[in-house]
Amino acid sequence: MVKEIEKAGFPVVQMANLVPVATTVGANKIVPTISIPYPLGDPSTSKEEQWKLRYHRVGVALDALATDIEEQTVFNVKF
Amino acid sequence: MKKAILYINQFFAGIGGEDKADHAPEIREGLVGPAMALDGALKNAVVTHTIICGDNFMGSREDEAVEKIMEFLSDKEFDIFFAGPAFQAGRYGNACGVICKAVKERFGVPVISSMHEENPGVDMFKKEVVIFPGGKSAAAMRKDTKKVAAYGDKILAGEKLGNAQEEGYYIRGIRHQVIDKTMEPASKRAMAMLLNKLSGQEYTTELPIPKVERVPIAAPIKEMASAKIAFVTSGGIVPADNPDRIQSASATRWGMYDISAEARLEGNGVYKTIHAGYDPAAADADPNVCVPLDALRAYEKEGRIGSIDSHFYTTVGTGTTEAEAARMAQEMIVHLKEHNVDGIILTST
Amino acid sequence: MKLELGNFHVKDARFGEKTYFEDGILTINKEEAIAYVMEDEHITSADIIIARPGEAKRIVPVKEAIEPRCRVSGGPVFPGVTGGIETCGNGRTHALKNTSVLAVGKHWGSFGDGLIDMSGKGADYTYFSQLINICLVADTDEEFERYEQQKKNKAIRWGAMRLSEYLGSAVKDMEPQDIETYELEPVSKKSPEVAKLPSVVYVMQPQSQMEEQGYNDLVYGWDANRMVPTFMHPNEILDGAMISGSFMPCSSKWSTYDFMNNPTIKELYGNHGKTVNFLGVIMSNLNVAMEQKERAAMFVANMAKNLGADGAILAEEGYGNPDADFIACYRALEDIGVKTVGMTNECTGRDGQSQPLVTLDEKANAIVSCGNVSQLVELPPMDEVIGELAALGRDGLSGGWDGDEKLGPSVREDGSVIMENNSMFCGDQVSGWSRKTMKEF
Repeated sequence: MVKEIEKAGFPVVQMANLVPVATTVGANKIVPTISIPYPLGDPSTSKEEQWKLRYHRVGVALDALATDIEEQTVFNVKF
Repeated sequence: MKKAILYINQFFAGIGGEDKADHAPEIREGLVGPAMALDGALKNAVVTHTIICGDNFMGSREDEAVEKIMEFLSDKEFDIFFAGPAFQAGRYGNACGVICKAVKERFGVPVISSMHEENPGVDMFKKEVVIFPGGKSAAAMRKDTKKVAAYGDKILAGEKLGNAQEEGYYIRGIRHQVIDKTMEPASKRAMAMLLNKLSGQEYTTELPIPKVERVPIAAPIKEMASAKIAFVTSGGIVPADNPDRIQSASATRWGMYDISAEARLEGNGVYKTIHAGYDPAAADADPNVCVPLDALRAYEKEGRIGSIDSHFYTTVGTGTTEAEAARMAQEMIVHLKEHNVDGIILTST
Repeated sequence: MKLELGNFHVKDARFGEKTYFEDGILTINKEEAIAYVMEDEHITSADIIIARPGEAKRIVPVKEAIEPRCRVSGGPVFPGVTGGIETCGNGRTHALKNTSVLAVGKHWGSFGDGLIDMSGKGADYTYFSQLINICLVADTDEEFERYEQQKKNKAIRWGAMRLSEYLGSAVKDMEPQDIETYELEPVSKKSPEVAKLPSVVYVMQPQSQMEEQGYNDLVYGWDANRMVPTFMHPNEILDGAMISGSFMPCSSKWSTYDFMNNPTIKELYGNHGKTVNFLGVIMSNLNVAMEQKERAAMFVANMAKNLGADGAILAEEGYGNPDADFIACYRALEDIGVKTVGMTNECTGRDGQSQPLVTLDEKANAIVSCGNVSQLVELPPMDEVIGELAALGRDGLSGGWDGDEKLGPSVREDGSVIMENNSMFCGDQVSGWSRKTMKEF
């Protein structure tokens, strides 16, 4: 899906846990998530911690959408 | 007797070289150029017509060329269609691919071509068109023609067709399961392969690693503060009653749901996941872990982004074929365009 | 460690006044067997039905398959599961061959359940069509999951395990018709001739994707999700240390029967001392988070290297995100100098055009491919259905559906079915039996 969306000209960022899958599939902008069943919020942590992580990584995704890149890029997250 | 039609370019029709590459499409009754060799090689069909078109005409006025040729064919009876051989000629290879694909889609007949392995037409069209490996130049004309004719004869005779390796055409990236009770079990095949690998001897993997396709990078968002962002997900987040009955695996359906009034996706019965490939507990309790609407709303409120699309777009990734995923994305794109979305965050599980 | 598997070849099974084995016939006292199974109050109804190769019978939903055995020394067949903890793989175990106990839902299926046809075209899609299947068809009081797509299926599976022990005990004190002996010296105590041969490990990745307990494969009763890769003696796998889980889309599944009879282990044993020095099994798993996959791959590669392995056979019990573990381990092994051959199935879609594994790497250059989970299979009606046919379409089995715009429902009114290979019971036989492969078309 991410390739079709980008072919249509939309800037798109994929948030995924299995970065090797995203790179293989061919997404150009990738932001890692923490797991498959809970990509952006570990239920075993507090609501505050989950929010902090989610807010931060979505922010990185927005940065990615605004960033010019030359090649497939996995964007770094702080936490 | 079954009927075949052949497509060739202006050069092989004897009309001219580069100077005549703009030659408009035409159809002639009977055999022109390579059609003679093809007709001679085919046992189960006669070549009734030859279609000729300039490589540049097809290259720069493709839709027009294809429509014209479809018109020529509309009142003809034919059971099989050939194009080329195109050898290493790139524009000719492209033309053969384009016309074969169109004929297959419009008329549903088998389409066959031949190209040298370096012809870009191979990678572009091998999935839709059976293409046989061909020589570098016209010196290989007889040989290449014999190959496509032989395969064509098999199809026309209704014979059982082998796989790509057995028949000899380019691997298309279409893999199917084959049950063979005479084959060695996997344990023995693995053992044999390992012994060969360890001793440096040759072995053949049963799963050749395909090359990965890259899509050109889309231009980044310039004005984030006024940008409209949308969520697309393959994590299967849907309203609790799954109104579009999206499948839990091998999905062919998708949905778009109005979130314009929502600050976040409510769990525990309002939204949930139907994706069968992962443990649903966390996403059911808090769907924002999969589609982070709450976080994006915060950025919207702060003015970091202009707005969020009125809807989010969802389907299920597990087992879903690439072809279905591409189709669903194309359908979503219609709405994303209508909604004037500037950028997309796609979450997957 | 030395394992003696004493074999009793079952030619037929039938019901009778007493449970005993004689001249190849297994006679089962049905009332006694059912009463034994129903000692677990969670089982609210149970029946035992026999399905023989060649019969026009269809069995669905099948949750598990187990070979009936007993431990001659008196311990549990499945230590840590049906009894206390003790080592498997050292001593004498008796097995009823050519037969398996199947855990079958009386009504309710789940995502990981499968189908078995005992004859016709469908029989080609599973190993179990060639066995005499003793089907435990049961219903339970597990209301919490009755309508869930993912089920732990605990009562039925444990019921089948107990039934298999009950049947196996019929041959406890008898003389086996033949004995298979499995003996492998400790890694550093091989004879000089054996030590000269290329050393090989078998790396197994059993399914452990679920976060909550009760669904994943078990190692001596321990949830495989809660471990890092470890080293095991192959006898342990052949002798009951591994229990299959209740989650994996069925054609990719390794049933407990598959573990107990793993043909790849037997192949490695057969070659040990001749062409290879079989060191043992590295038992890994298939956890879901990327970091856990990377950690497991690291453990596998380091362990293989430090054991001195020259080569490895790597097998994954799954497709989809488990492919990431498969490729991560493959790459880690190759990077550290261990030449690896992989065994897996593919998911190329109904049109055959999708990428075979979700992650790819050029280093994974030697793979034995066992089948396509997406392959569409259409089968005629069968005279008798053991279990409930509707489960295939209604209960969310991975290879069945209740409605499709192009194909219609999986289960049709006349009893014929259209389904994906995905729900053929342990159909891709990635444990090593597979006589299927993938070809380019």
